[in-house]
This record gives sequence, C-alpha cells and structure tokens, in this order.
Amino acid sequence: MTLALKTSASTTLPSRRDEDWRWTDLYGLLRTLPAPSPRIAETLQPGGPFKGLAKAELAIANGRHNWWPGADSKTVEFFEHQSPDNPYAPEELPMAAMAAEQALEPPVSIIQFNGDDVALLRLVTEATETSHHARVGVVVKTGVSATLLESYEGKGGRYLSNTLIEIIVEDGASLERVVIAEDAEEGVGVSTAIVRIAPGAKFAQTVLTSGARRQRIETRVNHPGAQAEARLDGAYLLDAQRHADLTTVVTHAGVEGVTSQLTKGMVTDQARGVFQGRIVVSPGADQTDARMGHHALILSEKAEIDAKPELLIFADDVSCAHGNTIGALDEDALFYAEQRGIPQAEAKAMLTVAFVGEVVDRIEHEGAREIAAAWVARKLGSV
Amino acid sequence: MAAVKETVETVAALEKYEHGFTTEIDQEFAPKGLSEDIVRFISAKKDEPQWMLDWRLEAYRRWLELEEPDWAKVSYPKIDYQDTYYYAAPKTKEGPKSLDEVDPELLAVYEKLGIPLKEQAVLAGVEGAPRYAVDAVFDSVSVVTTFKKELAQAGVIFCSMSEAIREHPELVRQYLGSVVPTSDNYFACLNSAVFSDGSFVYVPPGVRCPMELSTYFRINAKDSGQFERTLIIADKGAYVSYLEGCTAPMRDENQLHAAVVELVLLDDAEIKYSTVQNWYPGDPETGKGGIYNFVTKRADCRGDRSKVSWTQVETGSAITWKYPSCVLRGEGSSGEFYSIAVTNGHQQADTGTKMIHLGANTKSRIVAKGISAGKSTSTYRGLVSAHPKAKGARNFTQCDSLLIGKECAAHTVPYIEARNGQSVFEHEATTTRLSDDQLFYCQQRGLSQEEAVALLVNGFVKDVLQQLPMEFAVEAQKLVAISLEGSVG
Repeated sequence: MTLALKTSASTTLPSRRDEDWRWTDLYGLLRTLPAPSPRIAETLQPGGPFKGLAKAELAIANGRHNWWPGADSKTVEFFEHQSPDNPYAPEELPMAAMAAEQALEPPVSIIQFNGDDVALLRLVTEATETSHHARVGVVVKTGVSATLLESYEGKGGRYLSNTLIEIIVEDGASLERVVIAEDAEEGVGVSTAIVRIAPGAKFAQTVLTSGARRQRIETRVNHPGAQAEARLDGAYLLDAQRHADLTTVVTHAGVEGVTSQLTKGMVTDQARGVFQGRIVVSPGADQTDARMGHHALILSEKAEIDAKPELLIFADDVSCAHGNTIGALDEDALFYAEQRGIPQAEAKAMLTVAFVGEVVDRIEHEGAREIAAAWVARKLGSV
Repeated sequence: MAAVKETVETVAALEKYEHGFTTEIDQEFAPKGLSEDIVRFISAKKDEPQWMLDWRLEAYRRWLELEEPDWAKVSYPKIDYQDTYYYAAPKTKEGPKSLDEVDPELLAVYEKLGIPLKEQAVLAGVEGAPRYAVDAVFDSVSVVTTFKKELAQAGVIFCSMSEAIREHPELVRQYLGSVVPTSDNYFACLNSAVFSDGSFVYVPPGVRCPMELSTYFRINAKDSGQFERTLIIADKGAYVSYLEGCTAPMRDENQLHAAVVELVLLDDAEIKYSTVQNWYPGDPETGKGGIYNFVTKRADCRGDRSKVSWTQVETGSAITWKYPSCVLRGEGSSGEFYSIAVTNGHQQADTGTKMIHLGANTKSRIVAKGISAGKSTSTYRGLVSAHPKAKGARNFTQCDSLLIGKECAAHTVPYIEARNGQSVFEHEATTTRLSDDQLFYCQQRGLSQEEAVALLVNGFVKDVLQQLPMEFAVEAQKLVAISLEGSVG
C-alpha cells in the first residue's frame, strides 16, 4: 500500500496550480507520465555542441548510461552508485523526486574531478511520446578547478526527458558549468540541478537554451556564505511556439556570501520565456551580497515573458538587489543602424546578439565561450 | 529639522499605541457567529430592499464554498468565523439628523482621535485652510457625515453606504460589485455577505470635488469584526481626493477587518485615494492581539485617459493582507501606487499592488517602501501584467526594503507578465539596512540615535510621503517615526 502511494506521488506532474510551476504547466500538457522510452539501439559517437573541448565524456541516451570514454583519466573519474537515497519531497521538487526514483540504468552516474580538468556531460534524447529519467552526480574535490560542459540534445517529439544533477563543490574548489539545451520543438525537457558549495568554493554557471514545447532548467544552490561565490547566468532565445523556464533558488545560509546573476532573454513569434529567480538570505547570513538581473526582449506581437524575481531576506546586514526589464528593441538604435544602410533584419540581429552577448562574455572557459557565442549567433540568425 | 524635532517629541510623548483606548458606549450586537440568519439580520437592521438581501445571501452561499487563502507570507492561528460579532452599532433611537443628536460619548471619541466632526470647528481654523468632509464609521455603522450640504451644491454625493442604498439605489445597483465581484476572493466574499456600512461617493461629470473627502474607521466593540464597503464613482472628467484613516483599541484578542473598496473611473476622471492605516498592531513584546487586516481594494479605470492613484501608509495591524489594484482598461489610463509599510514588534505585512494593463498606451508606476524592525515580517507582493491588446503599456516599479534589527525579515515577490511586444516594464528592488556611515554622520553632527534614525527613515520614504495631501504627510511622517520607536539601540 505504501509503495503504491509513493509511486503515485512521484509520478504526478506539476501543474499551474503549483506556485513554482504556474508558468510551466506540465500536467496541463501531458496529463500523465508517458510510457518509458526505449533504449537507443546504437552506441553514441563522441560529439555534441562542445565536441572536442574535453577527452572525458559521459553520454546518457534516453535515460541510460551509454558512453563513457576517458574513464582512465586520473583527473576525472566516472563511476556508478546503485542504491542512492531520494531526499526530495514531491511537494517541493516534484521532478527531482521523480528522477531520483525513476532513474534506473544506473540509478546514479557520478563524475568526480580529482584534478583540474574539463568533462562533457551529454543528455541525449531520441524519443517520441515516451519518457525517461536520469540522475547524475558531480563532485569537485577540495581545491580542484573544474569545467563541466553539459548539453541536452533532443530529437523526436512529445517526449519527456527529466534529469536530476547533484553537484558538490568542496572547500576552495571551483566549478564552471556551461549548459547548451537544444530540445526538439515538440519535446518536453526538465533539468533540476541541486548544487552544494562549500566554504571558499566557487560555482559559476551559464545556461543557454532554445526552449522546447515546455522546458524547465532549474538550479538550486545551497550557499554557505563563507566567502563562497555563486554566479548564475542564463539566456533563452525562443521562436515559434517554444517555451523555456529558467528557475533559480539560491539560499544563503552563512555570513559573507556573494551571488551574482544575469539572465537575458529574447522571444519572438508565439514563444514564451519564463524567469523565476529567488534569493533567500537565512537568519544570521549577514554581509551577503546578492545581485540579480533579468532583462528580456519581446520581438513579436504574440510572444510572452513572465518573470518573478524574488528576494526573501531574514538578516539585516545585507546588500541585495534585483532589476528586471522587459521591452522591445530600442527604436533609436534600430533607426541609427538603418540610417547607416544596414537592413532592418540584420540590424535587429546585431542588436540582439549584442544584448545577449553580455551573458556569453561572462563564460570563463575560452573554448566554451567561443562555442556559446557561435551558438547564439546561429540562433539569432546573424550568421 | 523642525519636522525631526517634532517627530522626536512625539515619540517621547507617546510611549505606545496612541489610539488604544476603549470607549464604553451603549452598543447593540447581532448574535455571535455567521449564518444566513445573521445576514438577514444585518440586512433587516439596515432596512434594505430585497435585491440587496438577495445579493448578500448569494455572496454568503459562495463564501461557504470558498477556501481561506494561504499563499501570503503571514502566519496566524486559524480564524474561528463563528466566534465574532458581525454587527455592532452604537445604540440610537433613530438615525441622528444632526450632530446634536449624536451620542456625546461618541463625539468625545472622535475628538480624542483628532477627527473634526463639527463643521464649524473645522471652519474656525485658519482662513483658507483646506477643509475635509468626514464620514465617521464606528464599528458597523456610519455615525455622521459632515459637509453633506455643501457637497450637494456641487452635485457630489457623499454619504454612508446604507444611506446610498436607500437614496440612490440606481447608482448602487449599477456599480456595487462591478469592480470587486462577490466571489472575487474569500475575504471580499465574506465582506459582500455581511458588510455593514462604509462610504459612498459619486462625483458627477466635469465636477472637481470642492474639498477632500475622508472616512474614519474605528473598531471599538470587543470580539467584533469590521466589514465596511466603500464605493467611489468618478464620472466623466470628475476629480476627487479621498482619505481613509483607521484605529482600534488595544485588546488581547485578534479582531478581523475585511473591507472592500471599489473605485470606478469613467473618461478623463481622476481619483486620488490615500490611506493612513493605524489599526492596533498587537503587543510589541508578546505579539498578542491586534487587528487582522484583510482588505480588497481595486480601481477600475473604465474610461479613456482616467487616472487613479493609491497612496498608503501602513503602520498598524497585526497582519496586513492588502493589494490595492488598478485595472487599466481605458485607453491611455494610468495607475499609481505609492506605499510605505512599516512593521515592528510581531507585525506581519504582505502587501503590494496589481497593475493590470488591458488598454493601449496605459501607464503605471509603483513605488513601495517597506521598513521592518523588531521581529516583524514585511513582504511586497505585486503583479504587473500587460494584455496582448495593451500596446504601448509602460510600467515602472521600484521597491525598496529597509531592515532594522537582526530578527526582522523583508521579502520582495513581484510577478511580471508581459504579453505583447510593444510594452516596456521596468522593475528594481533593493534591500539594505540603515547605513552605519549615515547614522554616524548624523550623530557626529549632534543628533541622538533616535533622531538620526527618524531623519534617515524619513528620507527613505520621502518619495511616498510627497504623494500624500500635506496635512496627512505630516501625520504620516510622525506615525512612521512612532512605529519604529524602540527599534534601534
């Protein structure tokens, strides 16, 4: 009986009645969890958007660990964990709880950085009207400086790909996570990252996405204060009827923590961009310095942007701020460009690339930055 | 500097909640609890027509089906809706025809509160001084409305809601519930069923109301709730400025205040609505008692180019749940919201606004300042949305929070929904504490710590105070300082 109840609780999709999912209604779209995805017949070849930037690569196809070269590296280790626990409450993190329960092959794949290195993490989907779940752990050992280049590569339609990534950045270590998400237009993608950073550690992330039928990329950071730093950037570039939801929750638990956040968005046609950012400063987490910015452009009549930048502050000696702007491209700048003989479409692309460029420029890994810049330019049609 | 001195003196003079006295007045109550019979009792007591009773009963039936909202960042023990009086009124034989017939005890209350109910007393002031017409609501009923004759000469109707239902049923039927429908939310629905009185204002086309109108709400009776309903209609090209003040005695029990305010604006009309809310906030040490303030306020800018401005200074109540909103329907209409929310002791405030842009070229501006001290929590919660048809919509939002002390909390929860490509929304928010440098600077120049805090806080809320009518701005400035008394040091 207990088992039956548990199963039903973690297969219920969140709906717009859930406050945290008000703009990303999975239940309304899918109603029930689609049947499990089949195994992809062939072994994947190395690749993905970050191809060539790292030797170590973990590829997960339709929720199953599929490819795992570079396992002999000393700096990056891969292994599996067969019986992990599931600490996530379905009421609070429904999709993370679901992934923790439903990911089976293996229950968790773990990437461990023992020395400074770069690793690729690819989550590949080739599915139609089916669903799969994956759970990945990333550990950056004390003092190590690591880069994780993560990609979501979706093909097919009306699938649900659900990923849970648990990241631990140990004392004085640093991790840069760069994500490029390219789901199929009719696909549904959910990725939840739970990040724990230790005192003095650094975590920086940049998420670039072109959306899906419904897509949510959520990051929750447990920030200890203690001179640790978190940077959470993102950009969504959406056309057609695509949807993307960038949600972040940063909880500052101790004194002297720094968080900076910059998200930019562009929506056109009938696309819908969602940004939910929450910064929580717990009692006693004094001298927290947290900044959040979300700026977005709506380039068509029927596109939509919803934003909820929240500050929940329980300590008095803090400096927290957020800014949020939503509007059209600057008419004056367009006029200026057109006056100088640049066709309108090109001028629009130029201005949009420059607008999103600020996010890309903050990527520290040079190779990833170049790939990200090219990806943005391609999405915005300026190349 | 004079203002600071005054503030400090006021703080010194007033140890605690100034308006916390109770008055022994002969009152009559409806039986405790809520049922269809109570709704009928209230309606009968007010001698209402059948349509009004039907409207109330419909609301009551809907209320039974609704659930109390729990999304706000406030916590309080479950309210027992059967353990409160829904009707309490000072005993009178007939409705008083003039001030002379009003219970002198009651007049004394208002004198003590500093509310001018005697027209001549107001007139006796400095020549040319601005005058205020007052509607005084005591528990469930309106006791007196001043300056009615003079206002009538200008065509302005200013009376209690009960009187409006009797005298102007066509206007009431047309507009009541048209901005906040009966089943809009749990508390509005409760109000629709049991509202006892409130103010009614109608300003005819092209008329600029010759004086400020105001309503003063006083909860006096024990275990009673106050459920007033205010309806203001500004016809084409009309202008009115309206003020609202509230106080209650100090009691250990929580009392419920669930009001509804509806504003209707036709073409080119303008309403300026200011509130100074100073309900009893509960005991600052234990958090016992205080008013639960669950209020629904909404303005409907139906006409083109109409303009509404909400200004609120919220210093009282144990719990505030209040989101004065603007529905910007008319083309080129605009809405403004200026707010100061001060919480101290164990107060909890979840307040903000909604700007719903439906028409083209609509504009809105939000300036919200929250100050939390003691063990209090203050939340700004706001929604700005633009409909696909609201081309050229423009919003600017600024919310700043100031924290004083280690145990308080300040939250900012804005929702922004942009549904067309030709609107511009800007939002910025900051949370900080009083700057040590600034405090030090002031103290170096000879100000005491209390004076320095008052000065800096008044600077912090200046943008909002400037929007209040002058006399109220001075009052509000004092109130802010008093509310923060004892929060530093």
